[in-house]
Amino acid sequence: MAMTPFEIEMDDITLARARRGDLDACEQIFRLFQKPAFSVAYRVCQCPDTAQEITQEAFITVFRKLGQFRGDAPFWGWLRRVVVNHAISSIRKSPKIDPVEFQDHHGSSESASERVDMAMDLESALATLGAEDRAIVWLHDVEGYNHGEIAELFGKTQSFSKTRLSRARARLKGLLEGGGLAGLQEAAARG
Amino acid sequence: MQKERDPLNLGSLPMVEPPSDGWPLIRAELEKGRQQRRLLRYAGSMMAIAATVVLAVGVFIRQPAPVTEPAAVPAPAQAQQTLDSLISLSQQLEVQVRSIREDVGGMPTDSLVYQVELEDLIAQVDEELSVNPDSLELWSHRVNLLLDLSRIYENQLRRDYHRMASL
Repeated sequence: MAMTPFEIEMDDITLARARRGDLDACEQIFRLFQKPAFSVAYRVCQCPDTAQEITQEAFITVFRKLGQFRGDAPFWGWLRRVVVNHAISSIRKSPKIDPVEFQDHHGSSESASERVDMAMDLESALATLGAEDRAIVWLHDVEGYNHGEIAELFGKTQSFSKTRLSRARARLKGLLEGGGLAGLQEAAARG
Repeated sequence: MQKERDPLNLGSLPMVEPPSDGWPLIRAELEKGRQQRRLLRYAGSMMAIAATVVLAVGVFIRQPAPVTEPAAVPAPAQAQQTLDSLISLSQQLEVQVRSIREDVGGMPTDSLVYQVELEDLIAQVDEELSVNPDSLELWSHRVNLLLDLSRIYENQLRRDYHRMASL
């Protein structure tokens, strides 16, 4: 299975320094994980400012609790869980955050224009999903969460996760096959 | 396998750049927390000294208390009584949790995740209580969350004890 962007090895020395409250070590960890953490928060809430808040809150929580982290599981898994929990909690608090317009926040390092077009289509299609559906499809397909874990996060059943995943994928597929961005604009024009 | 997991290839989307550097705020919060903990430790030792002084003085000057009839006070309403007991229970649990937390060493990731979630929920309840301080429902929710939190620490202490005992 492909690795999630979070899957970064942490050296024990930096972790031990951070555990003792060394702020330089904390900064090192933050720099290492900032982008994957922000990305997952952004994919869930689709709002850069909210994603930034989620990321900051999650890191503050993790650094404050680091002294109690025993290290029986990878650090990245714990950090990701905290980021995702904060993100899910934010969509619970403000379920209306659902912009549909395309926002290109990522650094464009792609060279093939076709690939960029495809990415833009995926971005736009993803942005049209409801927050919960988007979170579920992202956590399952990209972050590798299983239905049991998603159900637990949302406090719902596994069938909830399965149904919403299948609905979200069907919608995305329909949008992508229906002409991507152009299809979305046509669909919007048709009302 | 990956195609099955991610049929739309969402994983091909690039990571997203944060709009600004988030570190300065995190650093400031961590430093603030550290100062607060230092102050709390200082206040704690001052209170311990004060308590010792009060106890010592009390032992020397204790007099038999005059027997008086209890003043006739109006019986408080049932709701107020419940509210007071919940607030008092919540305070006791808070002290208990703080004291066990100091004894617990490292925790397994699952417990830590759960602990963080519970603390977040308690913070949320506290926020709501600042607006609605007499809500029985909120105080009762807070007590339940604190009970769950103290259970996590107690289980961890038990596990630590068994681990040490088996060495």
